[in-house]
Amino acid sequence: MNKQEFYQRLAEILDAESVQPDDVLKQLDGWDSLAVLSVLALADSKYGASIKADEIRAVVTAADLANLVESKKK
Amino acid sequence: MNFKFQGKRIAGMAVVLPTRELSFLEEMKNFNFPESRSLKLKEVMGFNKRRVVEPGCCVSDLAVHGLQQLFDRGQLKKDEIDAILLVTQTADHFMPSTSSLIQGRLGLKQDMLCLDLNLACAGFVIGLMQAFMLLEQESVKKVVLINGDVLSRKASPKDRNIYPLIGDAVSITVIERDASGATIHANLHMDGTRAETLIIPAGGMRMPATPETAKLEDVGDNNLRAKDHVFMDGSAVFNFVQTEVPPMIESLLATAGTSVDQIDYFLCHQPNRFMLQKLADKMKIPHEKMPNNVVENFGNTGSATIPMVIALNFQERVQQEKMRVCMAGFGGGLAWASMLMELGAMDFNTTIEYKHKS
Repeated sequence: MNKQEFYQRLAEILDAESVQPDDVLKQLDGWDSLAVLSVLALADSKYGASIKADEIRAVVTAADLANLVESKKK
Repeated sequence: MNFKFQGKRIAGMAVVLPTRELSFLEEMKNFNFPESRSLKLKEVMGFNKRRVVEPGCCVSDLAVHGLQQLFDRGQLKKDEIDAILLVTQTADHFMPSTSSLIQGRLGLKQDMLCLDLNLACAGFVIGLMQAFMLLEQESVKKVVLINGDVLSRKASPKDRNIYPLIGDAVSITVIERDASGATIHANLHMDGTRAETLIIPAGGMRMPATPETAKLEDVGDNNLRAKDHVFMDGSAVFNFVQTEVPPMIESLLATAGTSVDQIDYFLCHQPNRFMLQKLADKMKIPHEKMPNNVVENFGNTGSATIPMVIALNFQERVQQEKMRVCMAGFGGGLAWASMLMELGAMDFNTTIEYKHKS
């Protein structure tokens, strides 16, 4: 998985210019339930990964999220 | 499981809407939630307006009003109804069946079948299958399939996850034999191990309603919900739809020996705009072939959404010409079902409004 590409897509979801690996998701402006759903959709459509919303909410940083998606990738 | 039917058609359809309309942005002011985020939800998910019943209004009230209108206009005759199939999860009573109440209130003949089917959002497609099977009997000439719920009455007004999305409505579909009708293909799947994805925990025999089950509980994110209220695991539903629905439709098309470009429209259950767009993308179906505008106008109305997609987008056209459509319903149970058939030209397709007087 290309992590840089993932962070770019995450930035688009959050309406942010960029997202850094050590950014704490909960401290980002656009991080809400819609963003969680959008990440679910991204994981499904681009990476074939089926993730639960609770698993997404449990991770702390953008890097953790990237690792979660990668671990669920088919 | 695959099904095949011959010589059946939908003769007419009606959608019955309560007149009471709520606005998403207005409602969201009741929640501690920034307006900018509400606007984004409106834009992405399509939440805008929805119709809900007045207090005290039941499924049978909407159905009886709609059927009486059809009788008055001469679009349906009382005596020709050989069966009422009612798909609902919000029955008037535990007993008797709501279809019997509808029969009694309208004074329909005794020589007929009244049957309630407890099905959720896959209930239009599965209801059609049941109607087709009944029509295999010589004595059954006309079946009336009624789909509808008043689920807004079971949603917690303090639960932002579900309350602003639910709409109430009833659809009435008249099905009959048609010797010249094209072959109808259908398939369905069920998974009861995921039954708790969409559930009203209390109020049945397992957990009877008590003052305790009516107590609002903090379920996180400032949302309050009681055991008497409907619960939906939104992300589980999303994953379920994206995972199960595309292979179901692909298998249906393969069985029928057809392909996406030979289908005029994909008429799916309408949970929200976002989910339908993702579904279309996954199956490489152009967005304009999969209408997603029921939620923004009426809310998610359960098993009545497919008739509402037809009424909202093709009301005139479906009375004039044939359309080759693939329908798909998916939701509580869990259950998912799809059907490939020709719609039209219907004898009628109409929208009826109902104002409840308590």
